[in-house]
Amino acid sequence: MAIALTALTLAGYLGASARATASPAPKSDLVMVASVINTTNPYMISNIEGAEALSKKLGIPLKIVDSNGSSQTEISKIDAILASGKTVIMFVNTVASSDAPTIVNDVQTAGGYVTIWWNKPDDYEPWDIGDNFVAFQKIPGVESGRCGADAIGAALLGKGNVVILGGVQDSTTSQTRLAGFQAEMKAKYPNIKILEVRPSNWDPQLANRNAKDMIAKYGSQINAVYSADDAMQIGAMQAFEDAGLLDKVKFASDGLYPKTLADIQSGRGDHAIVGETFHRGYMASSVGLYTAYLAAEDQITPSQLPHEKRDSLFQLSCVTPDNYKQYLKYDDPNAAAQFVDSLVKDGPWNTPPMTLIGGGPEKLPSP
Amino acid sequence: MSSSAGGTDDRGRDRGKVLSTAKASQAIGKRSLLPRDWKGPSTWIAAIAFIIIVFSIINPRFASVENLRNVLEQASVPLIIVIGTTLVILMGSIDLSAQGVMGAAGMAWILLSPNSREAIDLGIWAWVIALGLGLSLGLLTGVIYAQLKVPSFVVTLGTWYVGLGLGTLLYGDGLLPSLTNQHLASWPTRLTLGLPNAFWLAVVVVVGGGLLIQYTHLGRGILAVGNNESIARSSGMPVNRIKVSAFALAGLLSGLAGILATMQIGSGSPDIGSGQLFTVIPAAVIGGTALSGGEGGVVRSTLGVFLLIILNNGLILSGVDPNYQSGVFGALLVIAIVAVAWPQRDRLKVAK
Repeated sequence: MAIALTALTLAGYLGASARATASPAPKSDLVMVASVINTTNPYMISNIEGAEALSKKLGIPLKIVDSNGSSQTEISKIDAILASGKTVIMFVNTVASSDAPTIVNDVQTAGGYVTIWWNKPDDYEPWDIGDNFVAFQKIPGVESGRCGADAIGAALLGKGNVVILGGVQDSTTSQTRLAGFQAEMKAKYPNIKILEVRPSNWDPQLANRNAKDMIAKYGSQINAVYSADDAMQIGAMQAFEDAGLLDKVKFASDGLYPKTLADIQSGRGDHAIVGETFHRGYMASSVGLYTAYLAAEDQITPSQLPHEKRDSLFQLSCVTPDNYKQYLKYDDPNAAAQFVDSLVKDGPWNTPPMTLIGGGPEKLPSP
Repeated sequence: MSSSAGGTDDRGRDRGKVLSTAKASQAIGKRSLLPRDWKGPSTWIAAIAFIIIVFSIINPRFASVENLRNVLEQASVPLIIVIGTTLVILMGSIDLSAQGVMGAAGMAWILLSPNSREAIDLGIWAWVIALGLGLSLGLLTGVIYAQLKVPSFVVTLGTWYVGLGLGTLLYGDGLLPSLTNQHLASWPTRLTLGLPNAFWLAVVVVVGGGLLIQYTHLGRGILAVGNNESIARSSGMPVNRIKVSAFALAGLLSGLAGILATMQIGSGSPDIGSGQLFTVIPAAVIGGTALSGGEGGVVRSTLGVFLLIILNNGLILSGVDPNYQSGVFGALLVIAIVAVAWPQRDRLKVAK
């Protein structure tokens, strides 16, 4: 124990002294790491795609960490890479908010640079920690929920009943999306009633079962379904289709999965999908990694950046059946490589369609 | 010398036991389809009926025909898995691989059926290949378990991840594969004689499982291995073959469940089986299939599945806040188990 502590302290000093001498790490000493929650969700696969594109562009080797949905796995795999002695440039899509401090602490001790995406404790800010915690970045969930509410509100002409399928109940991403949806509905469409909110763990299978239970419970009273992401919407739509209700119900969600795009294009149901939001995993990972890379190469000094560039909210686009076509190009086979080209040219905060729009932490609308 | 004499004695005793086991097996064979311990399940049925009445009073929609069909469809996937799980548990082993096998078989099936990713439709062969994959994973588990004598807990944990890995490889980084044939996607929900097709499929599996245990050599062999493996072995039963067969069947059924679950949501995912283990293992145990093997059966496991599915569905229809649902679910489950087990408490073995 004592030996471990001494080693840690020593490593801390070494890390700190490496910072103090402040010469950028040579590229041959750099290794890029992208840590994702799993490798089966389309969003996570897109995360990996972005990391691969940037790794190729910058000529830095890449390691992927598959957390298998477990914080323990995530942290132990990251620690194993940190122990290799290279200077690490890291993007972490954290399994849980509470993982962020542990990972940042380990990266700091090893003298690496990390950008965290999506989840961290609200009061844990990069500027309180140091330059090794380069930034926290996310797409605002409240805005996503508002997009969905506006689309459903307009489609129902301001009157009707909605059920909501949320993600994992303690996920801040799900909470912010649901809060945004509910606040927008209350403010703009007071005659639309939210019948029920049912957490479905981002799982299409569970969303399918929950949707079936709600169909049994409310029958044709349900006019629209809001899901906190497309995976759950896919499960829910199948349940309504099986019940013969798909052409009577409207859907809105987040993520614009290719399957969702196909359903919008084909007008599945009676044009059942009315609202979506657009953002891509490859954009998140490449922007996160590139921000960390700039810090490792001393092209930016994180402590001198304004707070909004360290706890950042990025642009989210509301998608409707009328404007979806302009987003098709971002799913081309070489879209990630093209995005990375503009990213290296324009920098992490100015690359459309995902530009910096403000600073966090994201505030929940009052209920 | 004395040890050899002792050995002879042991063999003599063993032979006596073998005879009684054989008699018991014959007795089982002669019985009707009703399980050996019909009294237990009848109290279970009463408990489930009671829960149904309470939920119906809280929300009359609970007892509607639509919700009945909904519950039956939701129960189908865990019912199919639980039969395989029960066969394995009856031997005193455990099978944790269901979710991984489901992922592998489900992905194989959808990629070979009309889907949004590949222009391919192998029709019946998609079923054969996907089920074959499930069967092979089960066989692999069985062989490692029986021949190499690795504990089933460990082997099946490994096969779970092998299956999940295969599913993930098949998933690759391409588009989400979705069924392009809506007729196929709606098959589980479509009705035959008023009940969903998925449920009929589960009925076939449950009845098949029941018949297998009651009437076949394999079924009796499974019970005998669960009761006392060394006796079964010394009485000349092909114990290893029985073990491998039970795991192979469990793999096959998990594969079938993976295909059905994939059809139900119309899209493929290696995670298609996510959460099923937490329904089927408790369902088998709650129903009264002893983890030590030799006791229980498919009827009990089936009732266990229904109890869990009905509780979950009833709580949603009663409008219990999601924040409280897990807690209420657990509390009701404990009450139900205590109520059902109370009359039999003297006969129960010490629970550890």
